Amino acid sequence: MTLMPRLEDLEDKSFDPFEMEKLSTGSCPDPYPRIHELREQGPVVEGSYRSNFTDVPDVQTGHLPQAMILGYDPIMKVLTQPDLFTNREAFMPSLGRSFGNTVTVMDAPEHTHFRKIFQKAFLPQVVAKWGETVVDPVVNRLMEGFIHRGEADLIEEFTHHYPFQVIYAQVELEPEQAPVFHKLAIAQLLSSIGAPQGQEASHKLGNFFGELLRQRRANPGNDLISHLATVEADGEKLPDDVLISFLRQLMNAGGDTTFRGTSVLLTGLLTHPDQLKAVTEDRSLIPAAIDEALRWEGPVTATMRYVSRDTELEGVPLKEGTYLNVVLGSANRDPTKFERPDEFDIFRKNKVRHIAFASGPHLCIGQHLARVEMTRALNAILDRLPNLRLDPDKPAPNIVGHLLRYPHHLWVRFGPS
Amino acid sequence: MNCGWVYEQELGDPMGDIAPGTAWEDVPEDWKCPDCGALKGEFEMVET
Repeated sequence: MTLMPRLEDLEDKSFDPFEMEKLSTGSCPDPYPRIHELREQGPVVEGSYRSNFTDVPDVQTGHLPQAMILGYDPIMKVLTQPDLFTNREAFMPSLGRSFGNTVTVMDAPEHTHFRKIFQKAFLPQVVAKWGETVVDPVVNRLMEGFIHRGEADLIEEFTHHYPFQVIYAQVELEPEQAPVFHKLAIAQLLSSIGAPQGQEASHKLGNFFGELLRQRRANPGNDLISHLATVEADGEKLPDDVLISFLRQLMNAGGDTTFRGTSVLLTGLLTHPDQLKAVTEDRSLIPAAIDEALRWEGPVTATMRYVSRDTELEGVPLKEGTYLNVVLGSANRDPTKFERPDEFDIFRKNKVRHIAFASGPHLCIGQHLARVEMTRALNAILDRLPNLRLDPDKPAPNIVGHLLRYPHHLWVRFGPS
Repeated sequence: MNCGWVYEQELGDPMGDIAPGTAWEDVPEDWKCPDCGALKGEFEMVET
């Protein structure tokens, strides 16, 4: 039994960060027609991505000079030239404010140094072991809650919980603290829309993780926190501020994205019964199904970079100080790279890789864990929910949002017809 | 080490013009990791 510090809830206990978050990510049913229109205007279009879809103001970057980058090749050029298109300035007003000095807000050489240490904990051979020991028990426990009913909402009862519970298991969080932990993790992001609870949540999670690190250093176990608290590279441990920032980001980077990615994967398969049948009968198709879901409806449609000096991209001048909205969704649906880009087709033969996890040195550090989690979740669903189908008496799933997309419900039936 | 992408000789990197079966020694020095862009020299050999 390990010690666990107490988490402090928000002062305003009636504050609902989940509803506020839906406001900030929007309810746009399909941003892709507009994304296609923008891409046809050229690789660089002045303005912010967000302003195309919502009137909710961006209080942190809304007043800064912004341009959208659209299309696969221009986006790859931006993501793979980190000296020219940097992260620190791009994310300091948003993620930097929410999480602190995390690897996402670092540039080389600081980023190269710390990324190498963190990456050790998330290499494929490391996270593969978590599949059986951490992910499977969480997945099976959640399914026990609805498997006897023959029907379920796979979002509300499954995908919205399992990646977060994987994180709770990795940090050995007590179940009674989980609701406040989840609430604070989501509330952190609300600094971007000016909610004071954003900074309050960042501060309280920071206190919690600081105390947890002290405890795990004194009495290390086999959990992720103990590993990160003691891991060394070239004889150096990770400093507390960097570690606490990373842990603050873990729920959002590792939980929110996997929850949305799995939701989209299940939606893609359930709305294409022929492809669901193929995957059910041939599990070697699962990696292709995961990659197609991430290409088709990547959970994060846009990221940011900052122009560090005057330059040009595909012949278009870019001024130093411009905040680039790198529209990943436009790359993953670029018709010059992907035939019938708006269709979900797990059998497609791609000429290039999708970039749902971005590309370049800031490529998603948790992508291997995300794949393990999605694979385990899908296998369990296909194994334990026979004859899985959409519930004909409930509304069809509807993927919404302009930035972080997912369907709010996915009502299914299973068992005998 | 930067991103965890593993080069497997059997698969090569067809999208990066490295045919399946190409030995690691024969992968050109200017080849880059298809995910994170790390150069060949930044890769480390791992046991599988």
